Amino acid sequence: MSAHIGEDAALYALGALEPHEAAAVEAHVEHCSACARLLAQAEDDVTAMVAAGPLVEPPAALAERILATPDASTPATGRQRSRVPRAAWFAALAAAIVVAVLPSAYVYRENLAMHHTMLADADAMARIATSPHRSTAFAGRDAHVMYAPDGSWYVVVIRGAKTPMHVVWPHDGERTMLGTAVPHGDVALLYLPKSHRMDQLALMSDGRVVAQAQLVF
Amino acid sequence: MSALPAWQNPGLARPVRRTPSLMQDSIDDEALAAAFSSKERWAFEAAYARFATLLYSTAYHVLGNAEDAQDCVHDALSRVWRSPDAYDRSRGAIRSFLTVCVRNEAITRLRSKQRRSRLHERVAAEPVEHDEIAVVDVVEHQRLRAAMARLPDEQRRPLELAYFEQKTHVEIAAQLEVPLGTIKSRIALGLRKLAMALGGTR
Ligand SMILES: [Zn+2]
Repeated sequence: MSAHIGEDAALYALGALEPHEAAAVEAHVEHCSACARLLAQAEDDVTAMVAAGPLVEPPAALAERILATPDASTPATGRQRSRVPRAAWFAALAAAIVVAVLPSAYVYRENLAMHHTMLADADAMARIATSPHRSTAFAGRDAHVMYAPDGSWYVVVIRGAKTPMHVVWPHDGERTMLGTAVPHGDVALLYLPKSHRMDQLALMSDGRVVAQAQLVF
Repeated sequence: MSALPAWQNPGLARPVRRTPSLMQDSIDDEALAAAFSSKERWAFEAAYARFATLLYSTAYHVLGNAEDAQDCVHDALSRVWRSPDAYDRSRGAIRSFLTVCVRNEAITRLRSKQRRSRLHERVAAEPVEHDEIAVVDVVEHQRLRAAMARLPDEQRRPLELAYFEQKTHVEIAAQLEVPLGTIKSRIALGLRKLAMALGGTR
């Protein structure tokens, strides 16, 4: 077994090692969990430096290139969906309460533990359910968005969705990627807590805008 | 002392308004990391959406221009995503893991570019020309400079050379005329102290 990485953790995270030394660090942390933790700490530290420095907005074109990245040739296709992200469920139930568009079977079909997790979010959902909101349809898809008049939250619901769809905010000649609405059953939902008003939203699929909605505040 | 590149000089940076909660959504980093390591496609896209500004900034600071920075972020993320063991949660927070991947990719590119420029018989590697950039948050920018300034010189100098000038520890030791082992300790200590000054482990 190779030597523990010690101070090389910091140098690795900073990119200050010679290539053969960096390779040795990578090989070592594969089988030494103590050093893996040390390296994780150093990586957190360097990330804190980046985050405390000047931040630069990436151009929208980069998001499109990233989204076009294919999966590896041996993807985990045989695997069952390992875990539904909790937030997707939160969004699902929130939307069900707000507009009752979902068949109740959809909400309750999955396992009980997940259901209890959802109930833990009941306070937040109740707030959404009881707060005043507006709704507008997307032109181009069977989809709509519910949103708070102060722009504090948005719920995008897409029906008949077969593949994940990206929700973007077109503004100032750019597009900001807000998140991905992933279909479960054939409904895709995205819950977006925000702190500002977005007067336009668009849905993107395969790098193209497929639907747009104008929001009135 | 050489002049600061534009992005290190707040006087030259055009401040722009930070877009509030730009990339937030309601999936926490833990859930994202779990899904990313089990190769769920949405997690790859969500990771980009969430960390785009951080990752792009990381590459930009090293490479100094938008075109190289975009290529770098794209290639680093694609490689992580397409490799069979893309990311293992024992490697720590996904945010930091990706940031360091992008930074190391950027430094590799920078060094090979400098090697090429040396091959073209320039006397020394040319310093990277930094575009004038729109800094998202000038107050944040000042935090790094202020925290750096509070480090003792013997830790600050080697850390600056590693972080801002992307030098290796061998180059830093030679430049500062300090033994290799000493340089490593000072960089490691300086980094830890700086991160704590910036607000804990995150
Ligand atoms: Zn070890």
